[in-house]
Amino acid sequence: MRKRLLFFILLGWVLLIVGDRVDELRVYQGAQISMYAIALSSIVLLTGYSGQVSLGNGAMMAVGGYAAALTLNNLQTPIWFAFLMSILASAIFGALLGASAARLSGPYLAGTTLALAVGLPALANQFGFLGGEQGILFDVGFPPERFGEEFSQYKWFFWIATFIALISLFITSNILHSRFGRTWRAIRGNSLAAELAGVHSARMKVLAFTISSAIAGLAGAVLAMTISLVSPGAYTLSLSFALVTGAVLAGISSLPGVMLGAVILVAIPEFADVVAHRLGDSEKVITHLPGLIVSVLLILSVIFTPNGPGENLRKHRKKKSAH
Amino acid sequence: MIGKNRRKRTWFAAAVLAAGSLVATSLPAHAETGVSASEIKLGITLPLTGAASPGYNKVGDAMNAYFKYVNDNGGVYGRKITLIQKNDEYSPTLAVAKTNELILKDKVFALVGSLGTANHKAVAKSVGLQRRGIPDLFINTGFSGFADKKVYGTTFPLFPSYYMEAKIMAEFIKDNYAGKTLGLVYQNDDFGSDAVKGFAQAGLKFDVTIPYTSGTQSASTAQTWVSQLAAGKAQVVVMFGVTSATGPLLAVAAAAKYAPQWILGSVGGDATTLRALGVPAAVLTGAQGASFLPSPGDTSDEYVKLFQEVNAKYNNNVAFDNNVLVGMNTAMLTVQALRAAGQNLTRRGLIRAIQSKGSKFASAGLAPLNWSSSSQVGYNGYWFGQYDSAGNMKPLSGGVVVYTTDNAKGAVVKSNYKRPAMPAKGLPNNS
Repeated sequence: MRKRLLFFILLGWVLLIVGDRVDELRVYQGAQISMYAIALSSIVLLTGYSGQVSLGNGAMMAVGGYAAALTLNNLQTPIWFAFLMSILASAIFGALLGASAARLSGPYLAGTTLALAVGLPALANQFGFLGGEQGILFDVGFPPERFGEEFSQYKWFFWIATFIALISLFITSNILHSRFGRTWRAIRGNSLAAELAGVHSARMKVLAFTISSAIAGLAGAVLAMTISLVSPGAYTLSLSFALVTGAVLAGISSLPGVMLGAVILVAIPEFADVVAHRLGDSEKVITHLPGLIVSVLLILSVIFTPNGPGENLRKHRKKKSAH
Repeated sequence: MIGKNRRKRTWFAAAVLAAGSLVATSLPAHAETGVSASEIKLGITLPLTGAASPGYNKVGDAMNAYFKYVNDNGGVYGRKITLIQKNDEYSPTLAVAKTNELILKDKVFALVGSLGTANHKAVAKSVGLQRRGIPDLFINTGFSGFADKKVYGTTFPLFPSYYMEAKIMAEFIKDNYAGKTLGLVYQNDDFGSDAVKGFAQAGLKFDVTIPYTSGTQSASTAQTWVSQLAAGKAQVVVMFGVTSATGPLLAVAAAAKYAPQWILGSVGGDATTLRALGVPAAVLTGAQGASFLPSPGDTSDEYVKLFQEVNAKYNNNVAFDNNVLVGMNTAMLTVQALRAAGQNLTRRGLIRAIQSKGSKFASAGLAPLNWSSSSQVGYNGYWFGQYDSAGNMKPLSGGVVVYTTDNAKGAVVKSNYKRPAMPAKGLPNNS
């Protein structure tokens, strides 16, 4: 654990230095990578460890985002409290959902969470206090003056997002290396055998759902911060699919892989932009190409490397070292 | 020997000085983002696809057409204008993402004509337009809050605010429809709420009030609006929503044979778009509306005539409506602002130029422009008219009468404003 802590401190220090050296676009993308890394870690915990397939992570993120914004706007609290509330609200929501979905598995659970991803963000349109399609502002404020005039808003987002991501990943890593992580893996491997060994499978699944939702909610609040508002348009179905794709590509049970997955998700629109430009800047191509790339990557990955290329590489390396 | 060395040193120093001077003179005095010796890059976010796109998706192309016309005639002090359009689908989330792309990736000099109140509030905050000194010109929204210089110091609204529009509309209704049962349908966000405050300030009360959430507008929602309006026996109905909400409302009402006197807010009152959304010409005929520009069908107006010619040559001769007119008018103002900022173009210089000279810019607007060092307000007035069977808004009896007001408690007054003549061939030559 001490080694892990040192690693995260060192990583934070390196990111801080890198953030100071690159241009504003990369800094902003750095904040997005941090947000995706948190979101992907929630899928790794839920799907990679406890074996529950969820397509509704975007909805969990929406719960966190709205909770943070409502807290900040209505209670005028410090930022950290808003982020804390995003964790709490989405954890409660996840616990309720997990309890009701505990009897479901495989495609049935995926279907239920998919419906949630479609329906939940759209609920904002039904309640005035959620701001409808236009959403509500989530303003974390300007960076402190002591950082100087040159310290941009993007860098402020990057610092907050990276700080939150490092803490979140450190805690998640510890959870996955604890007895909870081992129990979830046992359930994922063979639920019946785990129960025979004394594991309360349903309870552990609900716990995984709760923690995963809490992490996703936190990612939702970070996403809201980077765009300064929450609205249904931020938590679309395509976000949920993109997250699943990112997690699969990174290796569904690999926590370090979430960094790679997050980088891929940020790189896809860049790549799509280049391709769209070559194809003549058609508006239809620009609008739909990123979604198409995500879908194709997901399909290819599931066909050729069901657990993701990251997972295959890891197994390949293990085999090699065994020889 | 000593003399030789000294001479060598002198030559060396002179050479360095000469080379330094050469480099200094060949470099621009200040390399401003988005400005080169041959190009000025501008950016806009607007809904090119999605529910709110009908009509608004024409604004960017119209601006581009006018810029091409200016570019073909020498550009702005020799620099060609490039306008980069990004599709935000009328979603604040996408508007922020696309504006970030414009600023960080495309490195535009300024934003021009971006559309949507909620979108722009999120953009201004998230991107930090004021803090970073990024000019945000002639935004396509009338939310009165954007005139707050302390919060939106680099943002220049063009439209009269919705608050002003409501105040002026309230006086119009009091003068023409006293004693009638009044209905109001409005978008329940900053856009519609701004209008509601304006009506309240003017002391106008509605008998039936229907707020709707942006994004929920459809034929089925319009059905419930019409039911409520009909049940409340509203004789005069004010619609303060986007075109994609106005369209279904009018179409459904016509099908239900409910025919109050419609008064359409300027945002949702574009006739061409409404007809494209399925509103029968007969329904629109007789509806009343407000505008600060001449009617797009009024070819006797020199600006409209020129813009129609530009539209024919540079914009595939698309249907010339209010959106095209707004786009070209915005582009013409932009060119004047860029010229007023001088040859050594900087962001700060552009903002100062609008503040000091903006109120004198030539434009198609029939109401005065009010930009100054203490005001961020663009136009501040409206005239009322009635749609004819061709979809053109014609002034009511007595010709075009413009009324102006302010964003506070000021009265609504008849304007004596005389619009500046259009520059020769519609090509600004100001400095």
